[in-house]
Amino acid sequence: MRTSTKLSLVDAHAHIGESLFGHRQTTDELLSIMDAEDIERAIVMPLKPISYHFAPENDRIADAVTSHPKRLAGFVRVAPWQRDASTRELLRGLDELKLIGLYLHPFEEQFAANEELIFPLLEVLRDRSLPLMLAGGYPGFSHPSQIGDLARQFPDVTIIATHGGQLNISGMLLADAGRMLRSNPNVIMETSGIYREDFIEDTVAELGPERVLFGSNAPYMDQGFEASRIRYAHLEDDAKRLMGRENAIRICGLPSS
Amino acid sequence: MTIIDSHTHIDEAPTYGWFDPPETIIRLLDEAEIEQAIVMTYRDAPGPEERVIEYIAEAIQRYPGRLIGYARMNPKYGDEAIRLFDRSIREYGFKGLKLHPVSYVMHPASDATLDLIRHAASLKAPTLFHCGDEEFTLPLQIAEAAQAVPDATIILGHMGGYFHVRDAIRVAKRLPNLILETSAMPYPRMIKETVDQLGAHRLLFASDGPGCDPLLEVEKVKRAGLTPEEEHLIFEGNIARILGEVGK
Repeated sequence: MRTSTKLSLVDAHAHIGESLFGHRQTTDELLSIMDAEDIERAIVMPLKPISYHFAPENDRIADAVTSHPKRLAGFVRVAPWQRDASTRELLRGLDELKLIGLYLHPFEEQFAANEELIFPLLEVLRDRSLPLMLAGGYPGFSHPSQIGDLARQFPDVTIIATHGGQLNISGMLLADAGRMLRSNPNVIMETSGIYREDFIEDTVAELGPERVLFGSNAPYMDQGFEASRIRYAHLEDDAKRLMGRENAIRICGLPSS
Repeated sequence: MTIIDSHTHIDEAPTYGWFDPPETIIRLLDEAEIEQAIVMTYRDAPGPEERVIEYIAEAIQRYPGRLIGYARMNPKYGDEAIRLFDRSIREYGFKGLKLHPVSYVMHPASDATLDLIRHAASLKAPTLFHCGDEEFTLPLQIAEAAQAVPDATIILGHMGGYFHVRDAIRVAKRLPNLILETSAMPYPRMIKETVDQLGAHRLLFASDGPGCDPLLEVEKVKRAGLTPEEEHLIFEGNIARILGEVGK
């Protein structure tokens, strides 16, 4: 059954800045699209910048959040191969910049999702009960089995796997992603760019709407189009409200209104 | 505006746990106000399972004017595959060939595959390839087949998937018999880029339903910022032109 398509949404995964890979989005551009698409709030995080240095980008995120505290919240992004410096940057982002979670991109920063290198970062999140958002589904870097292996070792850390933890347009990773989600209740499926809509609907039916979270991955992906994945889903309105708004508020500790 | 969906699935294969009878895609087509859809199985023919071609034949007879059949084949069966494909076109009224090299593990420009594509071309029937991010389905690999059979119309289903859309555009620039197809590929902006670089006559709308939602897939094309004329070609005009030639 396809129910209401009019739902106010919280986008748990958007970016601002200018990417090394050619994408860019300013805070004002993001807010303008959010207004047009009826998206009340977004959690923003850095793109990988041309400079390769995330500290100024984390500052940019903090400035955007400070300027628009009712519309935006922010995650820190670090490069784990910087080793101790990446842990220090995470702590700076949380303590000084007041950001509320960590975003890691195994493919763009070239590490495997279950690499011991990132364990000190996960220990910080575990000690503070903060979530990790992990760019999921990149072959060799964040295969569903690698995400699952990380999640198994940090059962107290909520791990949001983008793209449902799988990027495979022939469906060859759907079974792996499903096994990973079933085995690891601390993993949440984020919906940007996901193959396919029935994977969202089947996951809600089997594991519950609490395990699914709307994110757009804008500007790399299209925020309005990604919102339609939630709004058009063949699911009850209560499930869509959880996926589209309430789960982000609960998992990321956002103010409830 | 009339819409034809150039890539959907129907099949019932308990061995594999697949159950998508024609009624499932019909319901989603109704929701999205799509008039017609090209349907194909998940299984290849010939193969261990019987009545794969017949399954499509029965569905298009049950929904005339609504469902159009493509035969999903396994080229490894050689002449047997060619004979069965030929019968699907001449006797059952199918309109095209579907190839998914991941399911039968063979290069898209292998000799057996080219033989099948050549036969389709002789009937003026298009060949739709699954074209994504994994081995045997990459645009550059399928381009070898398009180059080897220049009179075949070859459709790149999913237009290169997540990571190979630019490759799909590159190969289509140099090979005029390649057509891109929009299903499941997640970027509306890449639809616009394809139209800008290749022209709207080189792109087909498709959903890959019922796993992907046809209503959402229609919206993706409408969010690409195209003109009404370009949308008409992508939603209906191009595939109507291609299928109008089959068997002539």
